[in-house]
Amino acid sequence: MASRNSPIDRVVAGLQVGLLLWRAQLQMFLNQTLRSHKPGRIAGTIVSAAIIVIAWSWEAIITWVGVQASQRAPIQMDTVHLLSLAFLGYTGVLVFSSLVFSLNALLLNPDLDLLLAAPLPVESVLAGRMVVQVLRLLLLSLVFTLPALLVLAFANHNLLIPLLFAMLYLLYPVSVVVIISLLSLLLVRFIPVGRGREVVTLFGVILALGINLLNFLFNPALRDSGFPRRPGGPASLPDVPFASATWLPSGWAGRSAAAILRGDIAVAIEWALLLLAASAAIFAAGTILSGRLYLAGWIQAVPPRRRRLPGLRAPRLTGALPLLSPVLASIVIKDWRMRTRDLAQLIRFVMPVVFIFIIFGLRFAGLRSAVQSLGEGPAPAMVGLIPAWILLFSLSISLGLTAVSLEGKSIWVYAVSPNTTLRFLQGKCWSAALPTALLVGLVAIAAEILIRPGWLWAATAILLAVAQAVAVTTLMVGIGAVFARFDWTDARRMLNPLGAFIGMGLFAVITGGSALLLAISLALASATRFPILSTWLAAMTVSIGGAVAVAVLGLLIGNERLRGLELG
Amino acid sequence: MLSTRLLTKRYGSLTAVEDLDLEVGAGELFGFLGPNGAGKTTTIKMLVGLLRPTSGTARVAGVDILAEPEQAKARIGYVPDAATLYEKLSAREFLEFSGDLYHVEQRLRDRRIEALLKLFDLHDRGNDFLSGYSRGMRQKVSLAAALLHDPQVLFLDEPTVGLDPQSARQMKDILQDFCKEGKTVFFSTHILEIAERMCTRLAIINRGRLVAMGSLQELRHMVGQDGQSLEQIFLELTGSREEDVSAVLRGLEE
Repeated sequence: MASRNSPIDRVVAGLQVGLLLWRAQLQMFLNQTLRSHKPGRIAGTIVSAAIIVIAWSWEAIITWVGVQASQRAPIQMDTVHLLSLAFLGYTGVLVFSSLVFSLNALLLNPDLDLLLAAPLPVESVLAGRMVVQVLRLLLLSLVFTLPALLVLAFANHNLLIPLLFAMLYLLYPVSVVVIISLLSLLLVRFIPVGRGREVVTLFGVILALGINLLNFLFNPALRDSGFPRRPGGPASLPDVPFASATWLPSGWAGRSAAAILRGDIAVAIEWALLLLAASAAIFAAGTILSGRLYLAGWIQAVPPRRRRLPGLRAPRLTGALPLLSPVLASIVIKDWRMRTRDLAQLIRFVMPVVFIFIIFGLRFAGLRSAVQSLGEGPAPAMVGLIPAWILLFSLSISLGLTAVSLEGKSIWVYAVSPNTTLRFLQGKCWSAALPTALLVGLVAIAAEILIRPGWLWAATAILLAVAQAVAVTTLMVGIGAVFARFDWTDARRMLNPLGAFIGMGLFAVITGGSALLLAISLALASATRFPILSTWLAAMTVSIGGAVAVAVLGLLIGNERLRGLELG
Repeated sequence: MLSTRLLTKRYGSLTAVEDLDLEVGAGELFGFLGPNGAGKTTTIKMLVGLLRPTSGTARVAGVDILAEPEQAKARIGYVPDAATLYEKLSAREFLEFSGDLYHVEQRLRDRRIEALLKLFDLHDRGNDFLSGYSRGMRQKVSLAAALLHDPQVLFLDEPTVGLDPQSARQMKDILQDFCKEGKTVFFSTHILEIAERMCTRLAIINRGRLVAMGSLQELRHMVGQDGQSLEQIFLELTGSREEDVSAVLRGLEE
């Protein structure tokens, strides 16, 4: 591809670069999965595909049931407005995902320099990125909706439905992707070198929190349980009246989509052509403008700031912790520093707590009155463990499963030191279990104070929560060692999906088993007239003992895996 | 101080290192040379305990690295090629961590850290995060960490890559001082001038096999031409041919 000069040539070259990049990404995907010659990866790919097929089957069944129901009892609804609303909602997702993708592409992907060094116009390279982004969004949209579209095509005897929807999925994101890509070019001007990963992570967090908060505030199913119902107001989805306006792309896409479902192909194509014309114009203008912006110096230009530790006056961990040997203490302190100084790591730590607040805090009044009505006794004390278990689930995975992988490529520092792998794992257990047990204990204490099940029941429940926190986190550290990844550059890739799946399964077994044991202890006391405290304490002992046994086993298996590790 | 016997490492059908016999004495500054992919890094990684040999033995400071890895590692300092360090730790914190891993008593550790930071001109930047360090500065921190526990054998993999001329000179002086104390330095390098000037003895490895070992003079005798530079000896022993390079370049032009 030689350098070309006319604007049209540059736009066309952008499309070509985009397709080239897309092909390279597909090749990388295949090389890492089906062509990897690694049985584990191939099996993982097949399992993932199977999960998608199962999810697709469910989606198809649900859509089919919906179609049947609507045929038996037709509902009057404004399809154009509903579909326009859906496209407008999709725009919000597009804005955030494009921002994260664009910043990633500009700041973090190492191939940008390679592409810019090639004999290609700058505009084509930047446009190529936009093309890749649009293709990726098309693929994602199809992954989520293809089964429903196929069912609709079958039910409406119109096989063009999936094809025409795919066309809308391809055209609709273009304008958003282009505008956000241009904004990203401006934005990176103000991001210091070396801080890109943190900024991208921050946007990801804002996206996650935003979606959850909006879901909580506007989803009728959640809103009614969280806030007092508005008198006389039926639960409904939020409406944006201008979503179907004829001056908005969401209105065009909505009209086209509604026409596709009606079988009015001519109208569908009319609106789609309008979308195509606008998308093509914006893409062409965006391509030219992006090159100008880049060449004008609107690219990362803020020098890296020197990041220093606070002055010596500030209290500093010196490498000693009570009860721990210097080696274990040094691992705990080093991990604490890594987790709290790196935004990507800090978020793993803080997000579960924030989500607990969103899930429980916003519905505090309703929940409190519900659990206080249970009165005193072991059952309400058990109910108080639910938020602690949810937090434990999240923290044990985010801290425990990643504890070993946290070392990343720096694992050699430990591997060449005169220490055993078991000692290393012990240090990792401490570093993950200490904060987890502390936070889980605090949440359990807060819940038991609110519920007031009686001090004895509360104390035993808190003890169980803390003991389980230590045991489960230790188990997760062991599983994390078995599935350790040391070659990551992006913190999100520390977690091995299979390891996470196994960890979640074992967590469910341990907590479910505990809950079952405690319930059996209550039933047993009731049936045999045994003192309830005896059966309760026996169940607790078995529950904690079982968790500890599983944790030790996990740790030993993890140690074997690390002993066999070679850093070639 | 360091000896290997029939040391071999295989990855499936690929033999990275084969039947390697080395003997390095106390106080030696030993250069380990070879073309790219010859097996230098694999050998060093086996000697520091990062890789397990497929067969053969290796003793470092009198301890079998396979049988008693912890005891051997306590006597070893290691500086990898392009060391990956903990980005969000300061140099001082990284050295503290490293000292604790090697069981260095806290007061002694802190005293040595200050001395090493001064020695490597990093004292003013000791509280900066390592993420802001250049490659050469990281290399210095890595060497400081390797020296912190006062090892008997120091392994360095391409230690001068990324260092400016002053720092390279400084490193050379430090390594020579280290050897004067009766300790051993074992390092791999591509820069033959450095090896020629610094090393008391050299070994050349090619395609996983040792092709020569001895002092520079002994290597000259081996190829039968006194007065040859190390570069000429190296090219002779590793089979690199200038005419091959010219033929490939001519092919590219066509």
